[in-house]
Amino acid sequence: MIHRGKGIGCMWYPIGFTAAANPSAATVKVNEDGTATLLTGTVETGQGSLTVLAQIAAEELGVSTDDIHVVSADTDATPMDTGAIASRTTYVTGNAIKLAAEHAKQILFEVAAPMLGVQPNQLEAIDRKIQVQYFPQRSLPIADVALQAQFVMGRPPIGSASYNPPTVGMDPETGQGKPFSTYVYATQCAEVEVDDETGEVDVLYMSAAHDCGTAINPMLVEGQIEGGISMGLGFALQEEMLFNDLGQQLNPNLTNYIMPTSLDMPEIDVDIVENFDPTGPFGAKGVGEPTAVPTAAAICNAIFDAVGVRITSLPATAEKVLMAIKDKRLSNQRALPAAE
Amino acid sequence: MVDETKLAEKQETVETLRKVDDDLRLPSVPERNFFPKEIDIAPARLQTPAIGQRATRPDGRLHGLGQTKYIDDMFFPGMLHAKIKRAGVAHAKIKSIDVSEAQKMPGVQATLIGSEIPVNSFGPSLQDQPLLADQVVRHAGDGIAAVAAVTEQQALDALEKIKVVYEELPPVFDPIEAMSEDAIKIHNNDSNIYASKTIIKGDIEQGFKDSDYIFERRFTTQMVEHVPMEPHASIAEWDANGRVTLHSSLGRITLGRADIARTLEMPINRIRIIATVVGGNFGGKNEITTEPIISLLSKKTGHPVKCVFTREDEFISSTTRHPFIMDYKTGVSKEGKILARKVRIVCDGGAYCSWTETTLGKASILSAGPYNVENLHVDAYAVYTTKTVTGAMRGFGAPQVCFAYESHMDDIAAELGIEPLEIRLMNAFNEGSSSPTGQVLESVVVSDSLIMATERFGWKEWQK
Repeated sequence: MIHRGKGIGCMWYPIGFTAAANPSAATVKVNEDGTATLLTGTVETGQGSLTVLAQIAAEELGVSTDDIHVVSADTDATPMDTGAIASRTTYVTGNAIKLAAEHAKQILFEVAAPMLGVQPNQLEAIDRKIQVQYFPQRSLPIADVALQAQFVMGRPPIGSASYNPPTVGMDPETGQGKPFSTYVYATQCAEVEVDDETGEVDVLYMSAAHDCGTAINPMLVEGQIEGGISMGLGFALQEEMLFNDLGQQLNPNLTNYIMPTSLDMPEIDVDIVENFDPTGPFGAKGVGEPTAVPTAAAICNAIFDAVGVRITSLPATAEKVLMAIKDKRLSNQRALPAAE
Repeated sequence: MVDETKLAEKQETVETLRKVDDDLRLPSVPERNFFPKEIDIAPARLQTPAIGQRATRPDGRLHGLGQTKYIDDMFFPGMLHAKIKRAGVAHAKIKSIDVSEAQKMPGVQATLIGSEIPVNSFGPSLQDQPLLADQVVRHAGDGIAAVAAVTEQQALDALEKIKVVYEELPPVFDPIEAMSEDAIKIHNNDSNIYASKTIIKGDIEQGFKDSDYIFERRFTTQMVEHVPMEPHASIAEWDANGRVTLHSSLGRITLGRADIARTLEMPINRIRIIATVVGGNFGGKNEITTEPIISLLSKKTGHPVKCVFTREDEFISSTTRHPFIMDYKTGVSKEGKILARKVRIVCDGGAYCSWTETTLGKASILSAGPYNVENLHVDAYAVYTTKTVTGAMRGFGAPQVCFAYESHMDDIAAELGIEPLEIRLMNAFNEGSSSPTGQVLESVVVSDSLIMATERFGWKEWQK
């Protein structure tokens, strides 16, 4: 018989390294036409980080994402970066880029101020223009200012900066301290079907609400969450590296190491919890790792809701679930009174 | 006299041969690639302000058109291919490694063993892992020797000719067993426990005394692989200035470069790492693997050397997610408020430390869950076992402890007859809550995320 169940998984997760320095540096070079080149030492590992980082630089300079070209991951050409690890790219590298773009913008402001007859601190960069705050009609195209800066004033608008999240070391005895600058929070809910004759679990639907501070690119956040759920699903139900008595792996291949495919994926609804972290670039925190954290918990709680068995050891394979159901039936059986 | 007939015949043969040759000749002009040269830029990329836009990725177009160059797509003139011999035994002393037969194999240009590497160790916190094992094998996937040959197949064939003599040592696979005092010591330390973390907050004994109910449960998790679509891959080219250029799938090039410099005893500025668009990382590409090995093979041969892991290499030799054994003991009031929690985590640390310290740290800090627990005691241990290396993987210990604390939460809710959503909302962190490490938390939205996800799910209306 098929039983349906629902389950919650709720989590928190830190951004960046545990109480250790993990700096990033960045350089932003504004070109003569107001487009810009961003140099970063982080690596695009498929998550879309370079697009998000371009958006951060673009926002600070008041230009569009497409106006920023990103040069990344060449130790001869790009500044140091602790790397694509610990969900730190948007927050740490993003903060460094925001600061670098701010420095380049400051040069543009200093060049534009006499052109507009104001002080540099009265200017803002919006919509590809350098304009006087509260007086949008008094503005110059960013291209004109950049050209003036480079070829007339001889001040190429280039900015470099670095950022390291502030942390406080942990007491070795009690662990007390401030190991991370900030955390994100999330909840995922799962709806499952469990077949009590085979132990098979089918995840039908998942809803996910993730906090990432400001979602700099909601589409990429959604992509991360959906990808994280697929990884969490494999961790919950299917994936396991098996060893023989000699310590050799039994399934080092994708034939016998079963990963979720598109057919295993449930329907997913993604929500981004509105939040703003004042320490992040434009309020952003991060989203990479947390998306894979609560999935297994939500699925196992849904199995518990469906058939009343608690899976205490992952993965919840059909064999394990069926065994647990059988054990439960045995313990529920009451001995009949002896026949007289 | 010239035999006219024979001459005619001869010419005909030459013509035929020429035709055959023409048929075989590769076209000198490559086939045209049909991809749009004039591109439509997605409107979201052109909008200001840029924040909050659903901007498409420039690399997405290249992926879609098959234009992205991963390491495996890159070729350099005269490039050789490297393969690595794996131990196959879990724990052994290496008595001898003989590569002389392998060197005689067709196409083989060079071999490398661990003792030829200037500093044969690496690791982000403890440098306890050899690039190629030269004295002791600590898990079956340990590399023993590398071969560079003209083709991948020739390199693979040559691996078969490498003779290694082992003196087998008893393996230990169970972390609890490895913790005991009389267990064989995998790294010749006093103990196999190589990292531990403690978090103490409030008064745990008092917390349990004040509790109406106490729940206890052990949870365990398994070892899993990252399985990125692109396996670990790199190309090294040693040039005449003594600089080495590496194209690599590394996810953290700055620190990777320092690690490579350390193993090769070279100044950092003689090493260049260019990371391509990496085909998936998930934590598995956070440290060097074959980069120093192929650098030295390139130095020996004067040719660029490429090494791409097979899927099997990826499973048996690269890092994996730590299996955890977690003992939870939680005291709650009859209303469902958590009053005390004691957690013990034993982390199967595999053969080498890798990113275990970070994993252990995050796991112990996060192990109480996103809940206010005034009285908390967490003890966490990482233990060497003679199994595949465990390291960084998406979540650094968080998926393991989340599985435990959330399963435990539902156990408590079921026993006390409280709705799973209610018990979570009752205990959730709020703005200004104090974390297990005593940190005042800001921008906290645990309850918001609980409400949002359950509303979207239709939690309250949902029926079986």
